Amino acid sequence: MIQMILCGRGGQGIVFLTRLLGDIATRKGLDVISSETHGMAVRGGSINSHLKIGSFSSPLVRWGHADYLLSMDMLETGNNRQFLKEGGVVFENSPVASESGLFRVDAARIARSIGRIQLENVVLLGFSAFLGNLEVSVEDIRARLSQDPRESVRNYNIKALDAGVKVGSAMKTTGGSTG
Amino acid sequence: MSDAKNESAVLNRFLMGNEAIARGVIESGCSLATAYPGTPSSEIMESLVRWKTELKSSIYLEWSINEKVAFEVAYGGSLAGKRCAVAMKMVGLNVASDPFTSAAYLGIRGGLVIIVADDPGPHSSQTEQDSRFFSWFAKVPVFDPGSPAEALEMTIKAFDLSEKYQVPVMLRPCLRVCHARQNVTISHPRSQINIGAFEKNWTRWAATPKFRLALHGELNRKIETISSTEIFALPKLIAGDSQSSRIVITSGSVSSHVRDVVSSEAKMSGLSVYKVDLPYPANHSALQSLVDSKTETLIVEETYPVMELQIGNRTKVKGRMSGAVPRQGELDPEAVERIISGFVGLKPKDFEAPNLKVRRPSLCAGCPHRPAFFMIKKLFNGAIYAGDIGCYTLGVNLGAVDTCLCMGASIGMACGFAQAAKQGQDGELVVATIGDSTFFHAGVPALINAVHTGANFVLVLMDNNITAMTGGQPTPATALTADGSKAVPIDMERLIRGCGVEFLEAVDPYDYHALENTLKAAKSFSHEKKAGVSVVITRRPCIRSKNAAVSKTKFQVGENCDKCMTCVRDLECPAISFVKQNKNVRIDPDLCAGCGFCVEVCPSKAISVWGI
Ligand code: SF4
Ligand code: SF4
Repeated sequence: MIQMILCGRGGQGIVFLTRLLGDIATRKGLDVISSETHGMAVRGGSINSHLKIGSFSSPLVRWGHADYLLSMDMLETGNNRQFLKEGGVVFENSPVASESGLFRVDAARIARSIGRIQLENVVLLGFSAFLGNLEVSVEDIRARLSQDPRESVRNYNIKALDAGVKVGSAMKTTGGSTG
Repeated sequence: MSDAKNESAVLNRFLMGNEAIARGVIESGCSLATAYPGTPSSEIMESLVRWKTELKSSIYLEWSINEKVAFEVAYGGSLAGKRCAVAMKMVGLNVASDPFTSAAYLGIRGGLVIIVADDPGPHSSQTEQDSRFFSWFAKVPVFDPGSPAEALEMTIKAFDLSEKYQVPVMLRPCLRVCHARQNVTISHPRSQINIGAFEKNWTRWAATPKFRLALHGELNRKIETISSTEIFALPKLIAGDSQSSRIVITSGSVSSHVRDVVSSEAKMSGLSVYKVDLPYPANHSALQSLVDSKTETLIVEETYPVMELQIGNRTKVKGRMSGAVPRQGELDPEAVERIISGFVGLKPKDFEAPNLKVRRPSLCAGCPHRPAFFMIKKLFNGAIYAGDIGCYTLGVNLGAVDTCLCMGASIGMACGFAQAAKQGQDGELVVATIGDSTFFHAGVPALINAVHTGANFVLVLMDNNITAMTGGQPTPATALTADGSKAVPIDMERLIRGCGVEFLEAVDPYDYHALENTLKAAKSFSHEKKAGVSVVITRRPCIRSKNAAVSKTKFQVGENCDKCMTCVRDLECPAISFVKQNKNVRIDPDLCAGCGFCVEVCPSKAISVWGI
């Protein structure tokens, strides 16, 4: 049983991440339900999506019940804090150093260095899946991304995933401070 | 992928509610489906197209010109003996209300399901009306699904019920069902059902008022039978046990929040939860005896008190009528927790209301509507700007949209403003804006009206080639229909000329000077010469569509910038911002779409191509 919020700005690939995680969970035979944002908000506005794995009926996470917040944008972390439960963990895309309960990765910079800013969501995903227990592991994600029929998309995604994992594992060994 | 080859009858997929509904339509053996896009319903037709391809189905699919026509096409198909479906959002049902209410009296032949997506909240709509009330008003049974999986099942049940009683049936999913995703079990579709060719019977299908009275009686009997005999109309226990003295009765998407809240809070464990799948016509005597047998009942439904009002004696009932449930706004899990806590006499957990800094939506960087609005504002300063519904409602941000009523209303309202101006304060400038899809939807009759009555105003028709706001569906001007088969494109200029418009010019909105000159000419035609309606088509594909020729050029702000803020405030391009830290204006190269319009907009000529 796990509940999470994925947030960011329109165009940052929140919907892609939600579908990816939900799709993997479904293939693993888990019960999963989520809620996406569509419509006007997508025009560059704030967006979030809710994802719950386990025997839930509602697609929405209640305030104070999320185990994780995956945030593509610092400002949006603030807009979604209320969903987090006590002791819940934030994974955030930002250049700032990590702090207690808030793990940060400069996913935008990494994605740019790989060659596509659009990959920042996958970098954050690799980072979060390595450090958190999302019910869906880095290996599950890798396996799913490897199934993309388009070779270049596949390669880019795997690169981005691994880059995120790398920052996560460095953080684990140094005990918090970012690289 | 291995599961694509799976031969077993059922598969598990992670589906959006709208995809699940579309799957239900196909699995029911439906032969024809129509829709007009509108959030949160748009993905139903898009998914039908995908299922059609995946299953190699022969179902006929179309994006209709508007919801009224979409309903009539599906109704015609039903009279021809086929199962038919039509999908729209709730305000679309207002447009289709005329044939909808009449079809209930006349009845149907092949199963007819009307899918109407509601938007409590409202997240991207003008109202938060409850379509279940509309179904009650029209005497059409309505299923109210609570999740994507349930939406699929109920779609199939809706077709069966429709055919059994020969009445149209509504499926009313809310946003939280339409845009929820869930692991859903899908099955192989039934083959297309055909109950036999149309049989002429004018006393029915062309009934005069005298026969309509008899048909009304027939409809009343059907509704009574459904309410008293169908199990969907009965409250069923979904959480807790039937012995509790206090109960909650719920329906639809909010029922899923109710179930999660009640089952996760130990202090609410004494409650039991009942759900009604068919909230109209609910089995009111069963509801009444359930209520009478308990000490207290709370009714939690979205958005209007539909079940609540079907309970005759509500002395032991709490809900919207008693004030226990707020009268407006989405019932999200927090609201549900507050309501139920209040009902059982608990203090709800205190949460600090978050201080949200939500980004307001804005037209995309490079959006062709932005230059059009900018120029309208520049040339028609102080005019009344009659706006309409679509992405371009965001012209509000540029100060060039003053009104937004409903689809097509900008032209009708501009007529009103123009006629009012004739009576008094002369010289009142009026500019109406409308998108291409909305123009086809409901703008054409209003334009005919404006020309016919000699109204003087400028109409800017923003033609970006698609229905952009809802995700890029084709319009009648597109050469393809929903599933990619060939369509006859409607020539917009010929249509407008046919309406009697004399001033008509099309212009590329990226072309600053051409745009300026064309709008000036239109202004002079309508306002100086008072020669009637002038129409300016600003034509360029939506920047997000595959037809858009997005430029790779980036722009930058140079040293000449005197921080007048014209580009930030008046052009409002999301790529341009004032950076507080170093007090300069910056163009974000990740966002800039290279339209180049800001170059002309900047009075100091400070913006130039990146790298020059
Ligand atoms: S060229 Fe100027 S107006 Fe066009 S997208 Fe870039 S910054 Fe915005
Ligand atoms: S319009 Fe030109 S001068 Fe004014 S703030 Fe923008 S870049 Fe600077």
